[in-house]
Amino acid sequence: MSAPLQVYEPFTAGLPPLIRYWKSLWSRRTFISEYSRSELREQHFDSVFGQLWLVLNPLLLSAVYFLLIVIIGGASDATRYAHLTATLFLFYLVANSLTGGVKSITAGQRLILNTAFPRIMLPISAVVIAVFKFLPTLVVFLIIRTIVGLPFSWQMLWAFPVLLIAMLLALGLAITISCINVYFRDIASFLPYLTRSLLYLSPILYEASALKPKLMALEVLNPLFPILDSWSRVLVHGQAPQVSSLLAGLAWAIGVFLIGTYFFLSREREFAVRL
Amino acid sequence: MPSVSNSHKTNEIAVSVRGLGLTYTTAIDRRPTLKARVKSLGRGSKHTRVIRALDNVNLDVEYGQVLGVIGTNGAGKSSMMRVIAGIIPPSQGRIEVFGSVSTLLALGVGFNSLMSGRDNVFLGGLAAGMSRDEIESHFQEIADFSELGEAIDAPMRTYSSGMFSRLAFSVAATVRPDILIVDEALSTGDAKFKEKSLNRIKELRSDDRALILVSHAMATLRDVCNDVAWIHKGKLVQRGAPDTTIDAYQEFLQVGKSAAIDEDV
Repeated sequence: MSAPLQVYEPFTAGLPPLIRYWKSLWSRRTFISEYSRSELREQHFDSVFGQLWLVLNPLLLSAVYFLLIVIIGGASDATRYAHLTATLFLFYLVANSLTGGVKSITAGQRLILNTAFPRIMLPISAVVIAVFKFLPTLVVFLIIRTIVGLPFSWQMLWAFPVLLIAMLLALGLAITISCINVYFRDIASFLPYLTRSLLYLSPILYEASALKPKLMALEVLNPLFPILDSWSRVLVHGQAPQVSSLLAGLAWAIGVFLIGTYFFLSREREFAVRL
Repeated sequence: MPSVSNSHKTNEIAVSVRGLGLTYTTAIDRRPTLKARVKSLGRGSKHTRVIRALDNVNLDVEYGQVLGVIGTNGAGKSSMMRVIAGIIPPSQGRIEVFGSVSTLLALGVGFNSLMSGRDNVFLGGLAAGMSRDEIESHFQEIADFSELGEAIDAPMRTYSSGMFSRLAFSVAATVRPDILIVDEALSTGDAKFKEKSLNRIKELRSDDRALILVSHAMATLRDVCNDVAWIHKGKLVQRGAPDTTIDAYQEFLQVGKSAAIDEDV
């Protein structure tokens, strides 16, 4: 008799065999791309007006916040507006990953109950969707930047590592929150408060340098702070990011990703009975 | 999940279930919330309960067999199918699956009701580990069999429950795995489609395939199966020839051969 193709045995607490898990995930990568594409199509982002809305929505949002800055903060200039749009758009990458990720497991109930696959595919897809929504806004920012007349510099290439760090953080957060939502279904209702607080705690409506030292000390607890600060330095001011900020952001992203993934992988085998 | 089947000989083991036990903890609330948890803090009320779904089940399924699985609601039939499909890990025992693992793909279709039937078929297949090309090559057959016509491109939230299960059955019956598990999806649709799906099941019976059918339609099982397993409260009560086992089950139910149980409901 040939060897069994699949063996299912009781598992001890902890992680599934990681190499096999990864292989199984990698072989299903088309699911992730196909799912994001269908999802975007379903939200009409494949049509002209859908794409336009994708760009218009953050533009209007940045206009509203700029209004807020002008009214509360008094004087404001074009650089401030560029800073606001750059950081706001990146912030929405993270926020959209969270809102998309939170229900990814509970919404995939039918699939989870009836098919064996690495569950982590679902929050990953949510982040991929958020990235696809983010890309056009990046183009918009570059146009704004050109109109405003900010000089381009080679230091702006630092944007790539910063963006990667932000995406890793978004992924870690999405994985964590999708898992929590299985156990507490009302997390999704608390999410707007969380993202709103993060928005105000992050250097978006103000620049990181404008923050009081007392508050600054607290910002070590905000994973987005160093990332958005670096993002603005790189893309708006065309400077190299501070190494300390870059490292702090990276540490946060890796930390959240590892802890969230561990949490998720050690729990995902019981999702089917929890849904 | 490779769907390329290397040919299996009759009487070779397809699925071997040894000492299978399944105990799991699940939330009592259908929708557990943080709010409810916080509100009941200090009251010592329980939020989870332990369910013993299966207890020391031993079951072999051979190639060429069509195994019907019967039992009352909540007997553990579906749980057992999910363990065999690798969806829920067992608590005790060992399950070996020889051959391309079938899935309960059928009901996985339609997980996103906002998307079209076409998208859902593709996504369900991709999640089950099939390649795009494989699904593409089966798709026309699936669409034809389901007789959905243009509705295949409409969002699935617009489907009637009959259309829904027709598409689901079409997927399961068109993708030809070595081991096919059909969980109560046989008795769906109108009379015409029911007959069509029954015929398809009969077509699928072959020496190099194992079929496991979970159903309450006794007449169908008597007709199609060559082996029946009766599960009650998580235990395998009886396994054997369809007529003997089903008779014993019906006697147990004390309903005899009433119309209600013979009917495909």
